[in-house]
Amino acid sequence: MQVKTFWDNCLSSFEKSLPPQQFISWIKPLRVSADNGRLILTTPNSFTLKVVQDRFLPEIKRQAKLVFQELPVFDFRVVENLPVPTSKPNSKPADEIAKPNIEVKPKIETSFRGYGKLNHSLTFDNFVIGKANQLAFAAATQVAELPGVSYNPLFIYGGVGLGKTHLAQAIGNQILANNPNTKVCYMHAERYVADVVRAYQTNKFEEFKQYYHSLDVLLIDDIQFFAGKAKTQEEFFYAFNTLVDSHKQVILTSDTFPKELTGLENRLVSRFGWGLTISIEPPELEMRVAILLKKAALSDYVLDDAVAFFIAKHVSSNIRELEGALKRVEAFTKFHRRVISVDSAKEALKDILISQNRQISVDNIQKTVADYYRIKIVDMLSKKRTRNLTRPRQIAMALARELTSLSLPEIGNSFGGKDHSTVIHACQKVTELRTEDSVIDSDYKNLYQTLTG
Amino acid sequence: MMSQLLLDITPDWWPTFDNFVAGRNDELLAALHQALAGTGKDRCIYLWGETGSGKSHLLQACVSVAQNAHHQAIYANGVVPEPQSVVAVDDVEQLDADAQIALFALYNRMREGGGVLLVCGRQPPQHLAVREDLRTRLGWGLVYQVHGLNDEEKGQALSRHAQTRGFTLSYELLQYLLRHGRRDLPSLLAVLDALDTHSLRLHRTPSVPLLKEVLQQSLELT
Repeated sequence: MQVKTFWDNCLSSFEKSLPPQQFISWIKPLRVSADNGRLILTTPNSFTLKVVQDRFLPEIKRQAKLVFQELPVFDFRVVENLPVPTSKPNSKPADEIAKPNIEVKPKIETSFRGYGKLNHSLTFDNFVIGKANQLAFAAATQVAELPGVSYNPLFIYGGVGLGKTHLAQAIGNQILANNPNTKVCYMHAERYVADVVRAYQTNKFEEFKQYYHSLDVLLIDDIQFFAGKAKTQEEFFYAFNTLVDSHKQVILTSDTFPKELTGLENRLVSRFGWGLTISIEPPELEMRVAILLKKAALSDYVLDDAVAFFIAKHVSSNIRELEGALKRVEAFTKFHRRVISVDSAKEALKDILISQNRQISVDNIQKTVADYYRIKIVDMLSKKRTRNLTRPRQIAMALARELTSLSLPEIGNSFGGKDHSTVIHACQKVTELRTEDSVIDSDYKNLYQTLTG
Repeated sequence: MMSQLLLDITPDWWPTFDNFVAGRNDELLAALHQALAGTGKDRCIYLWGETGSGKSHLLQACVSVAQNAHHQAIYANGVVPEPQSVVAVDDVEQLDADAQIALFALYNRMREGGGVLLVCGRQPPQHLAVREDLRTRLGWGLVYQVHGLNDEEKGQALSRHAQTRGFTLSYELLQYLLRHGRRDLPSLLAVLDALDTHSLRLHRTPSVPLLKEVLQQSLELT
């Protein structure tokens, strides 16, 4: 009963003292119980626990002192998937949108089995081949047909977002398609590191070893994440030897060539070179176009070649961003009920296609305008009032007003100590001139375009 | 003259979709609503824009909507939480090396396990100064610029804010504020809050002379 009183007091105190957002985020999800004279505070995750311990524990203890004769000992526990409060939080209704329909899958990991699964949508069929990856593709298909025999390990390296994961998973999926009883494990390196840590924490190294040593195919993505993690490297070294010795296939991906991997033991790096090391290069234009056409086909629509060329020409760095750009075009046209065309793609991507830093300063504006009108900046900032100087000055002031957050007195000040009313006059004048004089309007647009990319 | 001591009671104000002035961000708002409703194709949305454009406001509004519908949702700044139904990570450029790896892992887990991940920063993904594998992932989902408001839209936002604080913003006050103060929205809202407090303390109606005093005081403080 005392526990209930204590917690009710806590809730009431926090509800008064904290903004609703914080109260709902940190305090509402907590559960309190008593066990053998101890107060057990249960949080839904370790992050909440840390915040509660850092920020709210003094007040919780203060409330406990008021209710209990002696300050009880506090125990903290983390229980994932704690039931969420059923009462509506004491806050504004925000049901202006449909009830969210979003869930994360429970992630109770009690065993090393059961995850490290393949993504079945990443297959050879939907992998686009070009000059940049044809050798890697050929090697991958060979490994998929003869796992553990042809190239072991298969080491695929290349920059981020070029399709290494897709290729590795396609091998795994093909092996499974050929022989559904094969034990295939795909895992990101960071997850493997987490597994080693968990094996330590739960004292389950035997189970860990049994699982990894019993696989037929082990795929580890982004092996560079092992850098500096000695215990992980040691465990992986044993697993690697066991698997390769018994002709089980190991496939590794990395962002760099094995010899350039830093923070990895030499014995591991040398073993990575036992099989075949193959690179994936950034895709050339035609390949990027082909990727876009394929992605569109997978989403059940036909993308016009011209649109694909437009996107591919402007997004050249990696496949992820290429895919992101296509999604943005799709979302834009859907929202504005327009068809996908070069024009709509241009509009959709104008924000993300800018190539320069958007932080625009008054100095930058003054320099750009002065260069454009071929006048000196000192003249622009002077008190001279000849027309060849006043127009550019007024345009620069109007651009500064539109493109920066400076106050009008600050803008005036940066133009040689002019008054804010001069800036207001300049802005009004430019607005007026742009409607009357198409040359001024075009100058303004050009300068705006130059400044904003 | 003795000034009135004020109780620390100000009307509730926290970021919601209701008090966000959409401006040119209609499409972005629709994308956020779809992601929260589970009807959008993409569950990872990256928002970028200048300081004061409203990125944090939108992230917190999304988290509020999810929490009010009894979902586990969290807004984080400077740290990276565990996967939940909705995770909003503000200011990605401020994350240190370890936190960037944590966000990379969170991204992978949420892509695999479900949930909505919202991340924001000042730069678009192409120019983000974060680790490359994280940078490209943030550019993989939907990317939107949060467009700051023009003066007219700022006027609407300020008038609404004044209303929540219980006073009406006159046209003269608004014009003076937009001409003489810093014009990013957080600075303008802060001046408005200071004006409200100052007027209550002195028992004077918010006016241009009072606003001048507030602006003068803020200049002296800086």
